[in-house]
Amino acid sequence: MNNPFNLASFRLIFIYTLLLSVSFGFVLMFLYFTSARDIQIEADQKIVNKVEEINRVYLRGREKGLYNYVRGQISRPTLNIYRLYNGNNEFLAGNIPEPTNLKINEDGWVEFTFKMNVNRVEETYYGRGIVVPFENLRLLVGRVVNNEIKLKERFFYSSLWSLLLIIFLGIFGGYILSRNFLKRISDINKTSKNIMDGNLSERLPTTKGKDELNQLSSNLNEMLDKLDSLMTSMREVTDNVAHDLRTPLNRIRSNLEVTLMSNPDIEQYKKSIDEAILETDNLIKTFNSILSISRVESGTSDLERKPINLENLILDLVDLYEPIAEAKNIKLSSEVEKEIFIDGNMNLLSQAIANLLENAINYGSSSDKPFITLGAKKNEESISLWVSDNGEGIKDSDKKKVLNRFVRLDSSRSLKGSGLGLNLVNSAVKFHNGSLKLLDAKPSGLIVLIEIPVS
Amino acid sequence: MHILLIEDDNDAASYLIKGLKESGHVIDRASDGEEGLFMALDSNFDILIVDRMLPKLDGLNLIKKVREDKNDTPIIILSALGEVGERVKGLKHGADDYLAKPFSFSELLARLEALNRRNLPDSSSSLLEVGDLKLNLLSRRVEREGEEIDLQPREFKLLEFLMRRPNQVVTRTMLLEGVWEYHFDPQTNVIDVHISRLRSKIDKPFKGKQMLFTERGAGYALRYNE
Repeated sequence: MNNPFNLASFRLIFIYTLLLSVSFGFVLMFLYFTSARDIQIEADQKIVNKVEEINRVYLRGREKGLYNYVRGQISRPTLNIYRLYNGNNEFLAGNIPEPTNLKINEDGWVEFTFKMNVNRVEETYYGRGIVVPFENLRLLVGRVVNNEIKLKERFFYSSLWSLLLIIFLGIFGGYILSRNFLKRISDINKTSKNIMDGNLSERLPTTKGKDELNQLSSNLNEMLDKLDSLMTSMREVTDNVAHDLRTPLNRIRSNLEVTLMSNPDIEQYKKSIDEAILETDNLIKTFNSILSISRVESGTSDLERKPINLENLILDLVDLYEPIAEAKNIKLSSEVEKEIFIDGNMNLLSQAIANLLENAINYGSSSDKPFITLGAKKNEESISLWVSDNGEGIKDSDKKKVLNRFVRLDSSRSLKGSGLGLNLVNSAVKFHNGSLKLLDAKPSGLIVLIEIPVS
Repeated sequence: MHILLIEDDNDAASYLIKGLKESGHVIDRASDGEEGLFMALDSNFDILIVDRMLPKLDGLNLIKKVREDKNDTPIIILSALGEVGERVKGLKHGADDYLAKPFSFSELLARLEALNRRNLPDSSSSLLEVGDLKLNLLSRRVEREGEEIDLQPREFKLLEFLMRRPNQVVTRTMLLEGVWEYHFDPQTNVIDVHISRLRSKIDKPFKGKQMLFTERGAGYALRYNE
């Protein structure tokens, strides 16, 4: 893992460098060949010009004139080359010694080398020319092309070096970049191992930048936070279950045990068993509530979402609860705007509002003329849903507490209930990405306000 | 009723068998999915009670195979998976009802009864009659002893639900699901209040016998004697 050559990033850079080098190589090669050809054409043109001049010399002075012309060129510092031969291929005159490595190309051009002493140093020269035939003579006309060859060579080598430089910089740069990248990855790995080893509060290192690695770290951190809160709520559930379900279980057990002890008649048996069944039913209800809250909160449940007509939902609930409110002399009314739709889970939302209504009916009806209002209206970016009563309300110090599981305020302890109602409401609101507020009503009472953003 | 119980848990099965026999039913039992499928297809039962999780062949697939065999015996699923989504899945596979564990025995009995009655030829007439109580689905008129009774829409629906199941126990959950289409347990006795309202309209003003009874520990029943 510590070898950067194994890294995907390095491999990417390597392939990129390779592609770049190949295309750059093609460009250089093209440049090289076109310039080499231009240089050659220019040199050849000079030779052709010379041949024309020689032709004119021949026309004017015939073989004698030609001979004198060549003799005149000897020992003159020039890049032009002349060697004159007779019909038997015998050397007559010329300004360079016998050429070697003579090569005649298909197009009639002759290439050769020769050695000559210049300033007492023997040097090798490269020549190029044409053999021009006359009646009894033949003349090699050419030029020294050392400069051109040097130019081509220099061009070739500088192209080659720049290509090598590109490859080297690409690979070396890639190595450095990858090592940098690797360091960050190994930091992430180290932290992950730490977290796996139980150090659950640790988080991955992030920097200020917005690159992919940083995004990855932030996302993983967010995931860890989410898992952390899930774990916490799981732990809470387990603690609560252990604590709050023991009490009713204990009641059932003692009830049955005591009944057995006291030599009961059949009626007493029946009574005890009835009580036990009632207690277990309540336990089952509590269990079901805990389960559905956990499922909603974990987000793992496949609760479907579809558009819900809030007006219908609220009117149906009012319809369900109106008789029981009336039986308790509570005036239950609704204030709903028409045509409010939200994307949500029908059953969950109904249950949440039902819980709020039941809370209001059970705990919010202490005034002389109790009333409960269930309302909904559409705002610009959200939908407000509220249940308000004119009961005693909830003290500010208790407001945060009541949303937790199994919390029952002292004033309600004597009444039946599991302490899970508001907790489920809270989970349902979270499921719909909304917020829940407990407000004071004037002059007294509680307003539970739910705001759900319009998607 | 002749009932086939497909349940792998021996203890649970023996309680159920005892309770169902006590209630006057005839029970056969299969302890895994394959045996259950074989028995279900081999002889004629009035109702199948199928546990959702079974060895060899799970409950949902068993039901699918029973239905593929063009067998339309009413089926009720018993399952520890109680969410609405699971329930919908069960019904989609061809079950007629779904009961989440733990359930009360009276709830099971009431639902079995309802399923069995549903299998009887149902008159598609628009007039429901139970004793001297008449309910007209088209004119939405209700009368008893020839006297018209004024009902709210929801009371009408509630009465219709009860009148379609005369002399049957109907549980609070069945009412909540059937009349209000809610799948949660209210913590208050909302249904009881609705029933007592209905009772004050169809029973109290009339000299005749009481019809709407409370069945202790189970639910309600609309009864009449010929």
